[in-house]
Amino acid sequence: MKFKDKLKTNDFIITAELFPPKGTDISGVLERAEIIAPFVDAVNITDNQRASMRVGSLAMCAKLLQKGIEPVLQIACRDKNKIALQSELLSASVLGIDNILIISGDHPNAGDCKDAKPVYDLDPVRLLKAARGLEAGADLSGKPLKGSPKFCLGAVVNPQANPDGLQVEMFNKKVEAGAEFFQTQVIFDAGAFKKFYEKLPKNGKIKVLVGVSLIHSVKFMQFLQTLPGVVIPESVQSRMLGAQDPLDEGIKICAELIKSLKSFAHGVHIMAIGKEEHIPKIIEASKIQEELN
Amino acid sequence: MKATCGAQALFIVGCGGCAKKCATGDEAAILALSDSLKKAGKIVLGTVIVDSACDMRLLKRDLLKNEAFLKSDKAVVLACGAGAGALSALTDKKIVTGLNSKYLGTVERANITHKFCGVCAQECVLNETAGICPKTRCSKGLISGSCGGYANGKCEADIMKDCAWCLIYNKRK
Ligand code: SF4
Ligand code: SF4
Repeated sequence: MKFKDKLKTNDFIITAELFPPKGTDISGVLERAEIIAPFVDAVNITDNQRASMRVGSLAMCAKLLQKGIEPVLQIACRDKNKIALQSELLSASVLGIDNILIISGDHPNAGDCKDAKPVYDLDPVRLLKAARGLEAGADLSGKPLKGSPKFCLGAVVNPQANPDGLQVEMFNKKVEAGAEFFQTQVIFDAGAFKKFYEKLPKNGKIKVLVGVSLIHSVKFMQFLQTLPGVVIPESVQSRMLGAQDPLDEGIKICAELIKSLKSFAHGVHIMAIGKEEHIPKIIEASKIQEELN
Repeated sequence: MKATCGAQALFIVGCGGCAKKCATGDEAAILALSDSLKKAGKIVLGTVIVDSACDMRLLKRDLLKNEAFLKSDKAVVLACGAGAGALSALTDKKIVTGLNSKYLGTVERANITHKFCGVCAQECVLNETAGICPKTRCSKGLISGSCGGYANGKCEADIMKDCAWCLIYNKRK
């Protein structure tokens, strides 16, 4: 079933993300894509994530499609002006890629090219509207298109940003602008997500896939804590610090989180950041936990 | 100093407007510059402070007929780009800008200024954003609302800075 159709069901949806390499050797990413594909509904490809230059998301998405894996193209507003952004959307459609996740993108300050010009010519809300405009047959200047695309549009929110009311506001603005699904910033606390989730308007149509991550080592946990908007609860920190086998503990933590999210959330978006080969194990473990209950 | 290369006799133009407020184009700034130019072996033929260096009418009235200015090889302008550009448009004389302009500043008190407006030349959004300009004060210049990277009201790109959208959100509440 296509991701867009899956969003219309009541099934628990699982997506995961992969990031393209710095360099032309994409074999590792393709291998990982094939390992996770049977376990997920779609695979996101990040767009120069953390403002670090890599192979483009569009090219990697096209490669996934060739392998029969359904991609979600991430587009960051950071690097392209409105001409390039709209063109990217049309190019995606021409290649048969219709799942698009629109994000602002980490500021260049976060990356390896700090003096790069931060473009943000359009912001996510305006890019969502522009994409809907292209579907309706016109570009931002009002010029008619010869053939118009059809998208499944997603956006992001951060359930743990403080003040969270501003994120609720952004959720509503993005829905109004055309977002059909959301993938959230990483959370490690199902309760904290639930609190946020209860503040969102319920119309049942918009699916929110909760961002979860695999903490595979203590060092990686410390890195995660430096990322904007990531909060790791004390309980998770102490489990990781005391673990004999941190990777195994991380898999358990992630699986338990997915299990508890299953009781009320629409799905999860797994960001295993370089350890995607463990995603099948996480998903299997979350199912076993569910059966045990 | 590099830009004064090849010129022996210099003239210094100060500005009585913003550059004076910032203490970068006032008497003291002119004096300091003229001292260091002299130490570098240059001659300072004269100095003048134009009320507003960005006003071509005042430049014409107060500077263009000044004999020392006319005799000088180059004129160093202690004003923003609008002032240096104005003078450059009015004369064939070589102009050296002595300052790097940062932004159109809002003055809080001496030496404390803020960048509240980027003079975007588009429809001003302040009526919709509680008087706080996200084009200028959000690190990503997001117009429709925040990103998800702020933490406790601080910006993801610079934790020393308030997130503009959190300021707007709190002011609207
Ligand atoms: S929108 Fe912002 S930058 Fe533009 S004029 Fe208004 S305050 Fe200045
Ligand atoms: S944290 Fe706030 S100010 Fe910083 S980029 Fe995001 S929205 Fe803009």
